[in-house]
Amino acid sequence: MDFRSALSFALPLGIAIAAIGSGIGLGMIGQGAMQAIGRQPEAAAKVQLAMIIIAALAEALTIYAFVTMFWLSGNIH
Amino acid sequence: MGLEFLARVRRSTLGLAALGALLALTYAGWRAGLGSAAGALWSLANLWLIERLVVAITETDSNGRGVQGSSGAEAAEQTALPSRERTAWHWRRATWPLAALVALFAAGAWLLARLPAPALVAGFLLPFAVMLFKAVALVVMAAPFWARITRAPLRALALVAAIAALAWATAALLPGLGAAQSPGAAHAPAARAPGGSPASEAEAGGGPERFPNLVTVIADALPGSPWAHVLHRFEPVLFSILVALILALVAFFATRKPQLIPGGLQNGVEWAVESLYDFVCGILGPKYGRRYAPYLGTLFIYILAMNLFGLIPFMDSPTSSLNVTVGLAILTFLYVQWTGLRELGVLGYLDHMAGNPRSVLTWAMVPIMVPVHIIGELAKPVSLSCRLFGNVFGEDMLLVAFTTLGVASLSFLRLPFGLPLQIPFLLLALLTSTIQALVFTVLSTIYFLLMLPHEEHGHEEAAQPA
Repeated sequence: MDFRSALSFALPLGIAIAAIGSGIGLGMIGQGAMQAIGRQPEAAAKVQLAMIIIAALAEALTIYAFVTMFWLSGNIH
Repeated sequence: MGLEFLARVRRSTLGLAALGALLALTYAGWRAGLGSAAGALWSLANLWLIERLVVAITETDSNGRGVQGSSGAEAAEQTALPSRERTAWHWRRATWPLAALVALFAAGAWLLARLPAPALVAGFLLPFAVMLFKAVALVVMAAPFWARITRAPLRALALVAAIAALAWATAALLPGLGAAQSPGAAHAPAARAPGGSPASEAEAGGGPERFPNLVTVIADALPGSPWAHVLHRFEPVLFSILVALILALVAFFATRKPQLIPGGLQNGVEWAVESLYDFVCGILGPKYGRRYAPYLGTLFIYILAMNLFGLIPFMDSPTSSLNVTVGLAILTFLYVQWTGLRELGVLGYLDHMAGNPRSVLTWAMVPIMVPVHIIGELAKPVSLSCRLFGNVFGEDMLLVAFTTLGVASLSFLRLPFGLPLQIPFLLLALLTSTIQALVFTVLSTIYFLLMLPHEEHGHEEAAQPA
């Protein structure tokens, strides 16, 4: 297998795996935040702020995979 | 009718000329776009001056009549008497439009020498076409059969469908238009590759396709010149300086005449500053919040403006270039380290880096904690910059991909536009732009919080790093 076909398999797969991971993470973050808001609705603003920060941290992992894909995708063609 | 009709023609022509110039710019190159815009403006100015001339000549007549009506015999004598003087008065009134017309013709000759003549002529004919269509529309809409058609929705729908079919058939039948469009459409995406010098080709070779912006349009207009190369190189820098200038102007105009009861701009800016200040103080506490709110608030406003700047046509987000985001992240990194050195002292800083060893066990952990802390500090700017860059860049790529898809989906019709498939993603881009600016600011604030002396915040109810 030459490196072009290897890359064209690996890059979408890499993004997909990263997206699975951060999707699970985002779901758990959202679940935790929703439960916290449900238990203590008056703290909704603080919980939402923390939720957004942690969600951005989790989402960043997919973004790293995305950036890597764009850096390497020029080598395919 | 009359002057009011002409004013309406002028307004419609301005809008149409802008649209036509944009289309010509996209499909036939910048010279054609500039030419058609210049031609339309020239023609409008010409018409306006002629209108002034006619007004200047006829106005005296009505004036004379008014005077005659109001104060009887003397005025009648006056109007009767000096017919030569009256014509002189006409000519004096008409002098400046005449002089301006001469100047305008000179400018037209200069334009003809500089810009492509067909585009200029097309622009010149545009106001007359608008006038013709408006006149036809006025006549048709007054006619009774038009009312009969528009009153029944089914008939009106059929008419619209017939007009659309006619336009489509005409566009397909015109061989020149079809032939002119397809190379134009093929030229637009490939504009970077053949247009530039080898260096710009190499730059465009690896990178993905992007929207054209002001800098790339200007740089494509001057292929091969060193200026184009410099412009391409410094594109994000130029746009970020532009954003900074706009923000500085807004700040200047908002604070120029401060009032006790603010209105409009001052009110909005005060609201933004106050909420950012409260936000930073809520995390850092009142003492440090007051000190770091200017930097962190500026960071938020600047990043938000830069993210949203890419959504304006012919503009680009500077944050979709890694250079800008790395610059911002390095600034935050250096400021945080300097804050640590200043607030904790050199020994305190080293103590912080060693994980605040107090017992035998923690002293034994020092050889592990120091590299961990150093790597952690260095990873902060990397993750900050990559996150912002990746989000804004990915959002741009998404918009480009869906715009391309929208254009491609209608390409068999040979129309100069496509389906607006990118509109839902524009809304998504608004959301991510705001959230990423917020995230950058909040994480910077938390880095400051982690570096500051911890005892200060122990008893506060503000958000803790846990």
